[in-house]
Amino acid sequence: MALDLKMPILVVDDYQTMVRIIRNLLKQLGFEDVDDASDGTAALAKLKEKKYGLVISDWNMEPMTGYELLRHVRSDEALRVTPFIMVTAESKTENVIAAKKAGVNNYIVKPFNAQTLKAKIEAVCGS
Amino acid sequence: MATASAQRMRTSTRPRGALIDPDGIDLKMVARELEAVADYVTNIKREIGALRANELYRARLPVAHDELGNVVDATQSATNTIMAAAEEILGSAEDDFETYRAFVQDKVTQIFEACSFQDITGQRINKVVDELAQVEKRLSRFAAAVNMRDQAAQVDPEDAAKQARKEALILNGPQTADLAVSQDDIDALFG
Repeated sequence: MALDLKMPILVVDDYQTMVRIIRNLLKQLGFEDVDDASDGTAALAKLKEKKYGLVISDWNMEPMTGYELLRHVRSDEALRVTPFIMVTAESKTENVIAAKKAGVNNYIVKPFNAQTLKAKIEAVCGS
Repeated sequence: MATASAQRMRTSTRPRGALIDPDGIDLKMVARELEAVADYVTNIKREIGALRANELYRARLPVAHDELGNVVDATQSATNTIMAAAEEILGSAEDDFETYRAFVQDKVTQIFEACSFQDITGQRINKVVDELAQVEKRLSRFAAAVNMRDQAAQVDPEDAAKQARKEALILNGPQTADLAVSQDDIDALFG
């Protein structure tokens, strides 16, 4: 499936090791333009400055969680169509259903592998 | 409670030879009640002593706190070492095979060395488990001895606020295998 490898991606996670893991996996997949933010508030600021082709966000962060970020993105006219993948340790069914209702495009539970990340990016952004 | 007890002393059937004061109170019964209260207080004091609360919060809980902090630090340090080695292997532009092989072997050795953190963190976590088992044992003994009941009104406001945030934002944290939904089940939800 064809992917636009030049598409800017925003990785949102408060755990720098996880940011580094996802950045490395994206680099292996061929993506070059990757930014990161440490919580939903910082992510929103970046989303308003630059047009991203994909947001990959953790759920549990402070002060703004990934779930809140998702709802902000979906309620903002300029951002609402931005593809959004949740990558999180929140693995209860109620979390997955809440995220789906809020408009998430896909959901990955941690720990995950490169193949899963690739498959979800292709499913969400592939043409 | 005290008023009801005094009323009981006045109205109960007075045994033969009871010592009655001018107000009609059975002084021997008062003495027995006071003795029971004194026994209860003595028991509570003994149980509080057995709880050794000072030792719990001055020694055992700080040890658990420090050990967990060390586990986080050691895990982070090992992860950084492993990831740095892996990134260097991936980023290597070495053309000569023998040089590249020696370089990769050196980095893989660093990865093996970093993995030794698991042995130490395992021991640290076992220490925390032991300390928490002691705390649990003493608290459960104390709660049973004094017939303690939790009071909703005594909930810590800070803790209550955290709980409310967790519920509102569905912050459940990682789940055990029996409660966690699998990636396959999630994929089925997303069709």
